[in-house]
Amino acid sequence: MQLEPVVRLEGVTKKVSSRTLVENVTLDIPPGQVFGFLGPNGAGKTTTIRMMVGLTSISQGDIKICGYSIKEHFEKAVANVGAIVENPEMYKFLSGYQNLRHFARMMKGITDERIEEVVRLVGLGNRIHDKVRTYSLGMRQRLGVAQAILHRPKLLILDEPTNGLDPQGIRELRDYLRHLCQEEGTTVFVSSHLLSEMELMCDSVAIIQNGRLIDVRSLKYGSGASGAEAAETGFTVDDPERALAVAGSGSRQGSMITLKLTRDEIPEMNAKLVQAGIKVYGIHTVTRSLEDQFLEMTGGDPIG
Amino acid sequence: MGNFFSLVRNENMKIFRRARTWVMLGILAFCNAILPVLFSMVDSGGQTTLWDSVMLTASFTFYLCTIFSVIVAADSVAGEFSWGTIKLLLIRPWSRSKILLSKYIAVILFSLLCTLLLAAVAILVSSIFFTGGGASSLIGPGESGPVFTFRYLLCDYVNLFMTVAIAFMLSTVFRAGGLSIGLALFIMFAKGIFASLFSPDRYEWAKYLLFAHMDLSGYLKADVGPGGVTLGFSLAVLAIYYIVFMAVSWYVFHKRDVAA
Repeated sequence: MQLEPVVRLEGVTKKVSSRTLVENVTLDIPPGQVFGFLGPNGAGKTTTIRMMVGLTSISQGDIKICGYSIKEHFEKAVANVGAIVENPEMYKFLSGYQNLRHFARMMKGITDERIEEVVRLVGLGNRIHDKVRTYSLGMRQRLGVAQAILHRPKLLILDEPTNGLDPQGIRELRDYLRHLCQEEGTTVFVSSHLLSEMELMCDSVAIIQNGRLIDVRSLKYGSGASGAEAAETGFTVDDPERALAVAGSGSRQGSMITLKLTRDEIPEMNAKLVQAGIKVYGIHTVTRSLEDQFLEMTGGDPIG
Repeated sequence: MGNFFSLVRNENMKIFRRARTWVMLGILAFCNAILPVLFSMVDSGGQTTLWDSVMLTASFTFYLCTIFSVIVAADSVAGEFSWGTIKLLLIRPWSRSKILLSKYIAVILFSLLCTLLLAAVAILVSSIFFTGGGASSLIGPGESGPVFTFRYLLCDYVNLFMTVAIAFMLSTVFRAGGLSIGLALFIMFAKGIFASLFSPDRYEWAKYLLFAHMDLSGYLKADVGPGGVTLGFSLAVLAIYYIVFMAVSWYVFHKRDVAA
């Protein structure tokens, strides 16, 4: 079943004078997912997000949120969106609660109970009545999430949400986004340059570099363990030089040699090495992490 | 979508939840209370009437009133940009025009509050020390004291209103509170010098300058203003400048790309 995408970017381009910040990005974000937006610094992630929420004009193309164009029906489109763009800046001279009241008044039908509920969800507790001035970055981040989800948006956009969070905070945020996604069916769009973080958090990622979309992929791991496919396998040995000679192919990294083997070939190779008098300390499959794939794809291109 | 009044409430909350605002109102009330007392100490032989005292007080304290209104106006838009909260404000289901309008209304409400506070305190304290009767040096014969004072304050308010419009425009265009406060106050104090340098009495074109018309209090005593123009002409010039200031603010605020 093909679900109607929550967000549809149609050939989106942003030009500032002669520089093209984002070039012809076309992307559909399906509902009910945590969708990652990955790219090195300066790739155009924040610019794209700014265009999605109407903070920045779109030079060419259009962005539709829940079917409404952000250009032509801004108010209807943006009513479905909650967002933190860059840092969660709030009114420092107001308390957290007053900040939430402020944003609640700008939306339709947010009751006091809903505000209480959101405060509980993000775990701000009693500190909500303190001035934001006294908050730590982690607490401001929580308050940022609270204001973004007050009106139960269909789309939640978070720009670099893990910036400045401690490991505990990152973990909580991750669990929380999962919860939103599964329980409330919210589509979450997160941008980041932290690959390992995205790997844990997202169902799919789009990779952007130099303003161009270079890949969209699902991170749901398929059942790749059938054994028919050859995988990179590492052998940690005492004498890698000789082991390479025995294996006949492969590459060496320190005391590890890497060979491309199918599942059945692994014990055979192990036996061969042992017979040749090489001590094998460990065997493991070298999974290519998103990071490796990402660096491979972006190929260490200089920024800009 | 929702209630526009709640936007104005938000803006009011952002003005009145700041300690600064109460300090400003406190200073304003204090100055309006202390000046009539000082006048009563230097008044020899009961020359000063109640309405003289109110107008003399206002002639000093209206500067404060203008300065405070300008500060609030300049911070209204520029503050959101420097705090970074503009990003959260503009991604709500409200058009930018309505957000700007709510800010402008809140600024005008604040300036009205300042003016009312000024008038109320000045009249209250003056009435303790002075009486309403007797000939006045400031008010022409046959004029009613309260009416003349009201007109005088109205002229002052028009002056303030235009200065605030300038500050609001500069705040929207430059997104820098300090710059817009500075420039608006510069205009407030320099316009007298400017108007005398380029006097409409000497140069025909000078009667189209804003500075020649911001202070309308001359019309309280005479029917002709600078360069022989009428009150209607002055008001028309002010209206045109006002429309231009507002149009520039709206255009810039509407078009602006909000970037870091």
